Amino acid sequence: MRRPTRTATTALIVTLALVVPATAGARALLLSGSTSIFPLMTQLAAAYHKATHQPTPKVGQGTSDAGINEVAAGKVDIGDVSRDPIIGVDPKGLVFTKIARDGVCVITNPKNPIANLSREEVIAIFTGSVRDWSEVPGAKISGSIDLVDRVASSGTQDAFQNIFLGETLKISPSAEAEESNGLVQNKIRTDENAIGFVSFDFTPGTNAVGYQGIPCTLQNAKSGQYQGVRNFWMVTKKTGTSPAAIKFIDWITSGNAITKKIIGSDWIPIH
Amino acid sequence: MSTASASQRRQSPGGSRDRRAELTLGALAVGVLALIALMVVTVFTKAWPSFAHNGLDWFGSGGDADVQLKAMVQNTPLPGHSIYYFRAWPLIWGTLLTTGLAVLIGLVFSTFAAVFIVEFAPDALRRVLDPVVRLLAAVPSVVYGLIGILAIAPWVEHHLISQQRKHSVQEIVQLTGANLGLATLILTVMITPIMVAITSRSLAAVPRSWTEGSAALGVNRWRTTWRVSLRTARPAIIAGAVLATARALGEAIMLSMVSGSRGFAANPLDGGTFLFEPVRPLAATIIDYIDGLSVVPLAQTLYAMAAVLLVSSALLSLAGWAAKQPLKKYGIRA
Repeated sequence: MRRPTRTATTALIVTLALVVPATAGARALLLSGSTSIFPLMTQLAAAYHKATHQPTPKVGQGTSDAGINEVAAGKVDIGDVSRDPIIGVDPKGLVFTKIARDGVCVITNPKNPIANLSREEVIAIFTGSVRDWSEVPGAKISGSIDLVDRVASSGTQDAFQNIFLGETLKISPSAEAEESNGLVQNKIRTDENAIGFVSFDFTPGTNAVGYQGIPCTLQNAKSGQYQGVRNFWMVTKKTGTSPAAIKFIDWITSGNAITKKIIGSDWIPIH
Repeated sequence: MSTASASQRRQSPGGSRDRRAELTLGALAVGVLALIALMVVTVFTKAWPSFAHNGLDWFGSGGDADVQLKAMVQNTPLPGHSIYYFRAWPLIWGTLLTTGLAVLIGLVFSTFAAVFIVEFAPDALRRVLDPVVRLLAAVPSVVYGLIGILAIAPWVEHHLISQQRKHSVQEIVQLTGANLGLATLILTVMITPIMVAITSRSLAAVPRSWTEGSAALGVNRWRTTWRVSLRTARPAIIAGAVLATARALGEAIMLSMVSGSRGFAANPLDGGTFLFEPVRPLAATIIDYIDGLSVVPLAQTLYAMAAVLLVSSALLSLAGWAAKQPLKKYGIRA
């Protein structure tokens, strides 16, 4: 053979040899989206693999809006979304399946252990009308309030605004925007003057503030007394979702003992 | 190859192979140009609606850029305006500040560092410094961002920003460790090695006869370097500055980590507080709002920012070329 033809043939054979084993066998499911759902979903994925011996679903994170975009674009099989669907903003052709409920806590630094904030106080602090800790009853420190927010694509931010601030009010634009629950938790832990909000799973190491007289605990969230509770959804496309993805969602929403135990550990089971 | 006919082979020895190489390379070059043209056309077409709805006021000031972008994400237009309403001035000002300050400081540092490396450093030190500078120029910018946000920002927040300073601006903006000062510092550290490498190479290429002639006339070493070598190296210094500015303009991820993530137009009249105010350059804004790309008005606004960055890169190259023109009359190959 002439040299160029020989090189081309070798390249073709090597490529085929690499491609064929990669496509053999079932492909693992891809999930992405909310940073709040991430801890829950990694546990569910591991349990799913143990229970059914399907390949462990791979879970990524990048805020709820990113999850919606990726599932609509076909880049992942399932999107994790921690806010309710918004008509007019979300792409069409998506199916939202509720899998659990989750508590959202206002948190402060342990050096500022505020026991409780009323609805008016939360609104005043987070919309920016109150800027100094001296104006907050129950605050144990003095100085400016360092408000910590999430980026615009966060589902937790959407849920917080709707539940704690109402339909029209928005969080003050001067707040510092963090990418994930973990970064908010880290910021509150290291800054005495900071206040923010996280999913319940991310409150260790911080002071969880009670809302309207009810402490932010898992028990109060499950009983319905604590009002700051929002839905967790798994989002798929209406047409073209793989059967493996549907099987995974059905297993989670079936209410079997394994999923009930996992969800009940830090979240609120609904099935 | 034996496919060439006998007559062709007699006319131009090795001719058809040359022609094939010529055609292939020409096709690749044209292909690259076509790709760039396609990219520019795509960006400008997608950016057009944002400019059309705002006109030249797109570059002006008027309200909080973050509030306007969030309104697009949540599909709730601000009262009295369309969903496309956007005033980019705080972002443009942030870009100008960080890039301009970083390049200015970097120019001073890099010129002196290059002069030291080429003229005054002992041989052993020069052998160490040269590869180190080149290594620094190759460090991925994300590493700088990580060091900045994890190590330097908390230190700045605890030790340099006092409670009084925070209190003085608390009604308008929050002061944190991630701010204009930190962004400029890290950007300077990032772009200086490039300029040092280019300037030192050009200084080393100054003809020895010129420097020796100057020494023969009794001019001391420092003055020779300043008057002869640096003057000769001016085209390289300009080229290094253009390269560094282009890198600083496009720096997105590192700046989104350390610049404060807040579209605020820092005010130089604030005195010392000016350096501690958060900013957000254009490229960092694109990164911060990239998750909202499925919302059409936001996507078009982000493309508009990308178009501004493209045009400014083109203007930068043009400015670099124009700055070298007057030097040509001195016979310097620029």
